[in-house]
Amino acid sequence: MHTITQLILDNNVAFHPMMGNSYKLNETGKEIIAYLKEGQSKDEIIQTLSKKYEISPDELFIDVGDFFAKLRIYGLQQ
Amino acid sequence: MHYEKPTINKIDFAMGSKYGSPVKTQKIRTNIAGINVNELTEKYGSPLFVFTEQEIEDKYNTLYEAFSTRYSDVEFGWSYKTNYLNEICRIFHKLGSCAEVVSEFEYQKARALGIEGKDIIFNGPYKPKEDLKIAVQEGAKIHIDHLFELNDLEEIAEELNIQIPVAIRVNMDTGIYPQWSRFGFNYENNEALEAVERMHQNGKLILNGLHAHIGTFMLDAKAYGMATEKLMHLKAIIENQFGYEIEYIDLGGGFASKSNLKGVYQSSEVIIPTADEYADAITNAIYDNNRSKKLPKLYLETGRHLIDEAGYLLSSVWGYKRFPDGKKGYIMDAGVNLLYTSNWYNFNIELDKRYEGENELSMLNGPLCMNIDIIEENIMLPPLNRGTVLSISPVGAYNYTQSMQFIRYKPAVVLIDKEGNTRVIKEVDDLDTVNYKEV
Repeated sequence: MHTITQLILDNNVAFHPMMGNSYKLNETGKEIIAYLKEGQSKDEIIQTLSKKYEISPDELFIDVGDFFAKLRIYGLQQ
Repeated sequence: MHYEKPTINKIDFAMGSKYGSPVKTQKIRTNIAGINVNELTEKYGSPLFVFTEQEIEDKYNTLYEAFSTRYSDVEFGWSYKTNYLNEICRIFHKLGSCAEVVSEFEYQKARALGIEGKDIIFNGPYKPKEDLKIAVQEGAKIHIDHLFELNDLEEIAEELNIQIPVAIRVNMDTGIYPQWSRFGFNYENNEALEAVERMHQNGKLILNGLHAHIGTFMLDAKAYGMATEKLMHLKAIIENQFGYEIEYIDLGGGFASKSNLKGVYQSSEVIIPTADEYADAITNAIYDNNRSKKLPKLYLETGRHLIDEAGYLLSSVWGYKRFPDGKKGYIMDAGVNLLYTSNWYNFNIELDKRYEGENELSMLNGPLCMNIDIIEENIMLPPLNRGTVLSISPVGAYNYTQSMQFIRYKPAVVLIDKEGNTRVIKEVDDLDTVNYKEV
């Protein structure tokens, strides 16, 4: 979580000053980063997105899970 | 509110180039011959092989015109091994092709389709004697591959008390690598002439044709020029020395399709000779090297070039997962057991519509529970949905005939005719098909 808070968002691009890497995010990706910065857990994020977009949590579990996998691969999430 | 699958992609500043961004480009095919790909899979199931009659006819007419405008006495033999679905064979026969077969099974298939023996070219290194005898009795054009077959034919001639007209297969150096020397008798070391001499001594066979099959996916038309030159040279020697009249020469197959050979980075549009280039090379060599009063008939056994681009495999996304190395792995409903040519060619893989989001490095895996089931190891794709239909092409040549039932049932095959009507020409297999003949 510590590294996520260091991400600087500008439009659809996030920059990580410590790692020197830039990332491109879409709208839902940006939303998830914002929720993570607020301290929401993965399950809470799934519930939040499910209510907002009226999509089943089971479907979101796959999509959000995939997004978290990418965060781990990039070293942005433990 | 509008939902998009969440994406995050590390920006690689080295990826941009004057050719555009690999993260934006999407190859899209919404339809095949005007029929929507999603409608095809909804109606006939997925995966699904699709062939278009119009593309077959266009390719045939282009190649035939290239040859017939240069050389009037030309005939195509449809190469059954390339694709022997009955309806595909019927289309080629309707267009004017005779049949070119390489086994007793293919011979029987051609006969069952109503092709007369005289309109069948019988090639191949393995011709069972009893089937060879039938082919002889039915007047097929027999192309002798080796001396054992020559002996078999002489025995058949004796049994039937006839002289059998035959051709011999000749292999040679045409400047290409690897040289195909497996089929027939060698030109350079005089093996071919020795076989003719041997045939002449016994007098039971009458040589009337010469055949060469110099390779496959030939990227240099000049190789055909060289093969024709050598066949014409051999023809002149045989006619002078033995008195046979060589009525025809057959340059086999091997013309390339617009497929992308692995390890070749230029576009197929750039490297593949045109129909005119192949025709120029062969017909010019005939005219330049003819030493007889009469020009020989020319046969061609073009398969891949005529059918490959008319065939598509539609396959749907069943699911996806994220591999530990970051690559996205899509599970497709069609695997490499249906795509035999994936060993040598990179397919053109197209999406059924434009998808939101940027491309990321992905892998396409089939449904087989085998680690080798990789349709495409590295492909840039946007986030796809379950059910997204991908068009994989060109797959018209060799894929259906060499595909095998494995783990899942073999899919159906649909033909889109010239009027835009679709119909099943081969139904999807079922348990009865798979269990058939088991005892």
